[in-house]
Amino acid sequence: MISLHGVSKTYNEGRPNQVTALHGIDLAIAPGVTVFMGPSGSGKTTLLSLVGCMARPTTGRITLDGEVISSLPERFLTDLRRRRFGFVFQRFNLIRGLSVLENVMLPAAPLGEERAVVEARALARLESLGLAGKARMPVEVLSGGETQRAAIARAMVNDAPVLIADEPTANLDTALTHRFLDIVAALRAEGKTVILTSHDPRIIAAAPVTAVVEMQDGTVLEVRS
Amino acid sequence: MSLRPATPVLSALAALLALAGVEGTHARLTAPREAARLADEAQLVRALGLTDLALFTEARYTRHPALADLATAFQDNPLSFEHFPSGSLIAPPEHFGPTALGFAPEDLR
Amino acid sequence: MSALNRQRALLDFTVAALARRRIKNLALVAVFATVVFLLASAMFFASSLRREAEATLAGAPDLIVQNLSLGRQAMIDAADLPKIAAIRGVATAEGRLWGYYYDRISGANYTVMVPSAADLVPPPGEVIVGEAVPRVRDFKWQGTPLFLSRHEGDLVRFDIARTLGSDVALISADLVLMNEVDFRSFFNVPAGKFTDLAVTVRNPRELSTVVEKASAALPDARFVTREDIARTYQKLFDWREGVMVALAFVAMLAFAIFAAEKATGLSAEEAREIGILKAIGWDTRDVIAMKLWEGGLVSGGAFLLGTVIAYAHVFWAGAPLFASVLKGWAVIYPDFRLTPAIDALQLGTLLLLTTLPYAAATVVPVWRTAAADPDAVMR
Repeated sequence: MISLHGVSKTYNEGRPNQVTALHGIDLAIAPGVTVFMGPSGSGKTTLLSLVGCMARPTTGRITLDGEVISSLPERFLTDLRRRRFGFVFQRFNLIRGLSVLENVMLPAAPLGEERAVVEARALARLESLGLAGKARMPVEVLSGGETQRAAIARAMVNDAPVLIADEPTANLDTALTHRFLDIVAALRAEGKTVILTSHDPRIIAAAPVTAVVEMQDGTVLEVRS
Repeated sequence: MSLRPATPVLSALAALLALAGVEGTHARLTAPREAARLADEAQLVRALGLTDLALFTEARYTRHPALADLATAFQDNPLSFEHFPSGSLIAPPEHFGPTALGFAPEDLR
Repeated sequence: MSALNRQRALLDFTVAALARRRIKNLALVAVFATVVFLLASAMFFASSLRREAEATLAGAPDLIVQNLSLGRQAMIDAADLPKIAAIRGVATAEGRLWGYYYDRISGANYTVMVPSAADLVPPPGEVIVGEAVPRVRDFKWQGTPLFLSRHEGDLVRFDIARTLGSDVALISADLVLMNEVDFRSFFNVPAGKFTDLAVTVRNPRELSTVVEKASAALPDARFVTREDIARTYQKLFDWREGVMVALAFVAMLAFAIFAAEKATGLSAEEAREIGILKAIGWDTRDVIAMKLWEGGLVSGGAFLLGTVIAYAHVFWAGAPLFASVLKGWAVIYPDFRLTPAIDALQLGTLLLLTTLPYAAATVVPVWRTAAADPDAVMR
């Protein structure tokens, strides 16, 4: 359970290019599948990075299971991020030149686990996403859908309870979008929380989605569950 | 489990370290023999009254740098700079006689 | 265990990332190792030679007295000998006879000398020669006599009584030892003249007093003490001077530019990768540790490679790269073996000089990127 209380976010504060992306957001995100929707520039991505502890709010506070996380020092924030959240970026952000398996294992590197354990977990994740055969290939040879699934595998390799995905279907065709929704449904069945941003009506209407947060100009217009 | 990327690099470093160890052992093992050789040399130096290493035999004054006088390199012409390669490997002797004129006012009278 | 696993995992990533530009990074290590190799070779070679000089020349005479005339060394009168011998504190004083002989056949300079120790004085008509003399004269068989010619039509035959071994080549390679009578007649040195005087003192601490008194007795003479000799050789291959150091410095400078170009110019691609690593759960410390591994692997590996090859080059192969530099235009170059001598302080300095700047150049530019909030990759 993630709660936001009066959260706002200003970039480049005090400089001429100052931008306020979020204005006093109050929001509670329940387990299940939540979608932030709205036009571009509405603050979806900023909200997503605040929820995922990638950045800190300028004002307001964020709590995770009742614990205030918005004021934690960087070290704790990193620790929290790596144990609680898995990220899939809009541009996937796999590291070029490394193999799929190496990419998937990256989030586990700082944890100090046995390599064999991590590798087995990563391979299991890739297998469940249908990428077992491509584990040793460099990420450049993957197709768009495969790249996304590799990114999902990387996000889930530490068994984080929350998956965060920014515009996951922006670059996918209909078939691949359905495949992505199947994965989301499977993750939900595993008991994971999934938070997405999207302006794709296919996603918003999809079966596994439990809540839709509609946003505009840095404020929440409506929450539908 | 697949080969970890760092393994070949670490193996190469370990091999280099082992080689360094071999070299260190070589230095240690040859030390007594070399000490004996140096003692032989010192003995010959004492017996012959030698003053220099026979490293630079290209010119007469470079053969005995410790004894060479500073004028030798320029003996033919003050402008003919010292031009042997060994001149760049070893400095001319620092100590070439008294470096200050020693006289008192009464010496001038 | 967990810390070890973490470091190993970071190291694995570092190597995998470096392997993406395998040729470029291997070339970098090779260039770096070459620079270290040159510097370390010069260092090993110089400290070994200096040690050799120090150990062997400890037996040199305490004091050499030269006669100066017209600003050059000239023969010294035997009459000066008793003046020196009479000084209190002088143990022995003897006239030395030595000189140079230019061998027109081989183009080499020999040092011709009358030994002071009786057991090294060859019988009349015979010489004891250094290791290089038979070599440059290309003697084919044992007992080949040495013919020396002072001018056209002149030929003096000397039989070789003995050859000094290559164990002592570094101090004796070009020596031709004769007895005094042969020397005086061969070089036409009149009786009563010596090349210089060799003096030993009873108590080395009194040497400066002896020199003071001797310079009062022989005001025109030049005095070279054993300390002066030692000082001359301490400066052999000094860090501050010499061709090798200049070359190495240029190489170092070129490498510094290369390394700075490679390491400090954090490309947009690299900055983005660091952002990704942060976003997927890497800490600033993880990124820094990974970069430290990168700098450490490249510079530490190059240092190790360079020094290990340098040792083999200098002490196993006999420093062939320096032989030509040292030999210069000389015909005689002693066939000597070097005693392994490693100056730990110099080696440590070289280690710091090579690894620290490179590691710093790798890590410092990353610092700011690594400390920034990772949400930049979301935008």
